[in-house]
Amino acid sequence: MILVALVLLLAFMALAIPVAASLGVLGLTLEHVYSPLPLVRAIGEVTWSASTDFLLVSVPLFILLGEILLRSGFAERMYGALVHWVSWLPGGLMHSNVAACALFAATSGSSVATAATVGTVAMPESRRFGYNERLFLGTLAAGGTLGILIPPSINMIIYAVLTNSSVPQLYLAGILPGMALVAIFMATIVAICLIRPDWGGRALQTDWGRRIFGLVHLLPPLGIFMLVVGSIYAGIATPTEAASLGVLGALALAAISGRLSLSMLREAFEGTMRSTAMLMLIVMAAYFLNFVISAIGLTTQLTNFIQELGLPKPAMLLAVIVFYVALGCVMETLSMMITTIPIIAPVMFALGFDPVWFGILVILLIETALVTPPVGINLFVVQNLRRGGSLNDVIVGTAPFVVALFVMILLLSLVPDIALWLPRQFQ
Amino acid sequence: MSRAGRQTIANAGRRLDPALKLADAVARRMVWVGGALLLAAATTVSVDVVVRKAFRISLGGADELSGYAFAIAVAWALPFALLQRANIRIDALYSRLPARIAAILDVVALIALASFVSVLTRYAWEVVFGSWGLNAHSNSELSVPLWIPQGLWFLGLALFLLTVLILTTRTVLALVSGDLTLVRALAGARGIQEESAEEAAYSRTIGRDTGLP
Repeated sequence: MILVALVLLLAFMALAIPVAASLGVLGLTLEHVYSPLPLVRAIGEVTWSASTDFLLVSVPLFILLGEILLRSGFAERMYGALVHWVSWLPGGLMHSNVAACALFAATSGSSVATAATVGTVAMPESRRFGYNERLFLGTLAAGGTLGILIPPSINMIIYAVLTNSSVPQLYLAGILPGMALVAIFMATIVAICLIRPDWGGRALQTDWGRRIFGLVHLLPPLGIFMLVVGSIYAGIATPTEAASLGVLGALALAAISGRLSLSMLREAFEGTMRSTAMLMLIVMAAYFLNFVISAIGLTTQLTNFIQELGLPKPAMLLAVIVFYVALGCVMETLSMMITTIPIIAPVMFALGFDPVWFGILVILLIETALVTPPVGINLFVVQNLRRGGSLNDVIVGTAPFVVALFVMILLLSLVPDIALWLPRQFQ
Repeated sequence: MSRAGRQTIANAGRRLDPALKLADAVARRMVWVGGALLLAAATTVSVDVVVRKAFRISLGGADELSGYAFAIAVAWALPFALLQRANIRIDALYSRLPARIAAILDVVALIALASFVSVLTRYAWEVVFGSWGLNAHSNSELSVPLWIPQGLWFLGLALFLLTVLILTTRTVLALVSGDLTLVRALAGARGIQEESAEEAAYSRTIGRDTGLP
């Protein structure tokens, strides 16, 4: 039964059948073959309850928040302000790329949006200041992945929905690993530029006046961060309420900078609803599939099978990491989460791994998936911001940061408290 | 197939184009309504939070209403997402296949989608019909008659099914008449290339003035 299900699923997906249809048709097939009861009748109720889940409402709201922020035009001035603070390091503007990604990530729940926004602003400066282009591109593709680790994060919400864990806890747990990853990325840039100083570009003259004066441009992102993430931490708002506040805050920001218009809203709606609709179709199909496979006993069989392998905890962890790194090379990340987490997470929890800690690990693995070829979407986003050249440049430039991500994954595995310390302080 | 035969089928396909065009116009308006519903939900929820914190009064029901708004907005956005070819497909293998085989897979993908969506829509109808028959109300202070939000949700799913069927028929006719370019335009996977190009193009509309010397 396990084998049939797995082979069918892989075949459907390899044939480029839409993920939602693959899951749905698999559910219908398994029900037809293995279930004595007409489980299919439940599909209406299952999808209706998934569609009205209050926590899931936050997903389109976070996407909408990002779409509005992107158009509200604060990223450029924020980038310009950060440059004066970090560009004295060996590697100059490349540090501002990472810092700007981190700050934008604190307002955005998406890695693609983070890479696209900061990349657009930063790319022209690369040529003007004579940086090694490959490495510069790498800092943008890799820095962009911070979008889903530093709260808010759409992927963490999906994880929370799939595993019934707490979004506020996950959002707290993401902060320190996020900062640690920023530090590791920056250390990587410094190390490379110490070996090859000519890759580090022309230095920028600055003074304390400019640094202090520039801080005012950091206020919009910090304001949104306080509104959205601060209200969750303070216990004032649930994730969906926080996202709602964030949407209104972003609209206010866009209105202040004179970018709010009907056509802008329409575009933002189209972008938001297009991604949300397809994501939710996958969620509906996945809920139905999970309903079927647990009703016919497949979930138990699968869990037993993995437990009977009798792998020790570290080996199991390694297996999961290898699995996600490999799958992440060929699969879109949200559908990867929705199809695998309901099966893998319960097994890991049964082995004694902390759900919040495992969530952060998954997010780091997803970040890796975003920058590993052939289908790392961030690589393509950055490539498309260029005027020409080969995708290979981006892949090579990002490679050191993939190593940095592995270092972070190792660190988190050895010292789980990097993620778990902060949530404990709030309990 | 003979050349004349292909021509007949191509003509039959073209007769469907007005229907597809209409579906596109309807879908676009539905997605705006969906987006507006979502924004309305965000506003209601925000007001609820602020009032609750500032005046310690709970208006209640904001979460329930936003849940309905979400379900309806998603269902109403599905036709648009389909026509924009936004379906998430794993194209690692697909993008390396010859055009003819890729076109056949595009049709297979649509048929698989149509079969799943038709089952989904059929049983979504049972949900609405059940709520109507039992006169079911939501278990909350608002006590909403459930058939209303469920009915609007079902309407979105039904129009989605209709759009899938029109698109599938059109694509099958295009494939049989041998017009592979048209199959790709109607139903091809967007692929990571196209998806990211769009993301990049639209982020270019934002300003670039960093104020650096």
